Amino acid sequence: MSTTILAVILLSSVGLIAGIAIFVANRILPKEDASLQKANEIKERLPGADCGACGKPGCFAYAQAVAKDVEILDDSPCRILASDEDATQALGEYLGIDLSNAGPGSKAVVHCTGDSPRIGSYSGVQSCAAAVQVGAGEKECPYACVGYGDCATVCPVNAISIDGEKNIAVVDWETCIGCGMCVAACPRGLIELIPVETPQYLGCNYQAAKDIAGRKKCSVGCIHCRICVRSSENGEVEWDDKKDLPQFSETLATNAIEKCPRKIIIKTSAHPSDNDPENPPKD
Amino acid sequence: MSELIAIFFSMALVNNMVLVKFLGLCPFFGVSKKTSSAFSMGIAVMLVMLVASAVTWPLFHLLLVPYGFEFMRTVIFILVIASLVQIIEMSIKRTNMTLYNALGIYLPLITTNCAVLGITFINIDQNYGFAASIAAALGAGVGFTLVLLIMSGIRERLDLADTPKVFKGAPIAFLIAGLLGLAFLAFGGMVG
Repeated sequence: MSTTILAVILLSSVGLIAGIAIFVANRILPKEDASLQKANEIKERLPGADCGACGKPGCFAYAQAVAKDVEILDDSPCRILASDEDATQALGEYLGIDLSNAGPGSKAVVHCTGDSPRIGSYSGVQSCAAAVQVGAGEKECPYACVGYGDCATVCPVNAISIDGEKNIAVVDWETCIGCGMCVAACPRGLIELIPVETPQYLGCNYQAAKDIAGRKKCSVGCIHCRICVRSSENGEVEWDDKKDLPQFSETLATNAIEKCPRKIIIKTSAHPSDNDPENPPKD
Repeated sequence: MSELIAIFFSMALVNNMVLVKFLGLCPFFGVSKKTSSAFSMGIAVMLVMLVASAVTWPLFHLLLVPYGFEFMRTVIFILVIASLVQIIEMSIKRTNMTLYNALGIYLPLITTNCAVLGITFINIDQNYGFAASIAAALGAGVGFTLVLLIMSGIRERLDLADTPKVFKGAPIAFLIAGLLGLAFLAFGGMVG
């Protein structure tokens, strides 16, 4: 027989044997573990951001934990899931439990509205964590956002952008899923997770107790005048003596927002009707 | 034994797959952006190299050589390695989900990677025995993982550095690869 034909036979038979081997392996090997299959199905109903805010290394690990014990949904809730009602309901239906009282989610806010004058030029490693270690950044205010976007880098949904003009981080309220990755990333601790129903927050973190010099550091810094406390008749705003910054309750402090000389009490977008002149609030 | 150790180090450093033999360059650039994925890739390549060497050596010496079919080694090896990796992937998926998640997409990706095919040919061209082939495959896998880890570590730091715009991304990676290759040339002549 010629070599060509033998070569063809050899190749086909090796291919056939390999095929049979795969077939046999498929039959012999145990089927996929049932709990793993369940974990896989739960994972499909999770946000899949692998943010780690729940304390588990990624969504699959969380799904495995949920597959083992449903209680974990209460003990260490998935914050992203909580902000998405449809997804919560879908997971609840799959698991056969009621998750509707899991509570609303959170959103991240940046306690800085920028505008602190630059007093230096930094050209080192382009990260906030590195920049604050070298001469505390470029800006005069030691509480200001450094603006190299460490928070934007870790954000799994790209909700954070850097305002190029003021060089500060801006969180998009709608896109934010409240995972809290940015809170850990900010070396200045300027980012905070607040419940979605919070009506307002302060766009400044200048705490130097009773230091009116805040006025000089930045045109939108809190000057600790306490007009917000005085103008809130029903005690919506209280003064936090420790931080020397106002503290808001869960009701909208309309007067305080208007009276603030620096206009840094910022309404969250959770109350769109208040911002919309065509749909004034009912009460 | 000392010969096996010499072969191991020769394949890992002196004749490094990526930087000296220029094999497996696609994963070297494609999967070296993050250290974690570079490590998974390295482990997957090492595993497949070991299995491929262990299977192709007897196949070549017991089947192809006696019947004079040495010229068919390329196509036969590709076929055998590809189906083997299929079976390995299947068994890992069914038995150890954690390992499967760690190796992820990389296992099927490298079924017939040139570095994997390369090590089986080197084993035959160098007339290595079975044990020597395994040592060579292990060395090549370790060398590959080492280079991938070095490269990913450098690239992770480069991402933060203020690189000139024209060099950002791939160009600086190629430059780094060249410098790494120069560094590895220094191993030349160390082991037989």
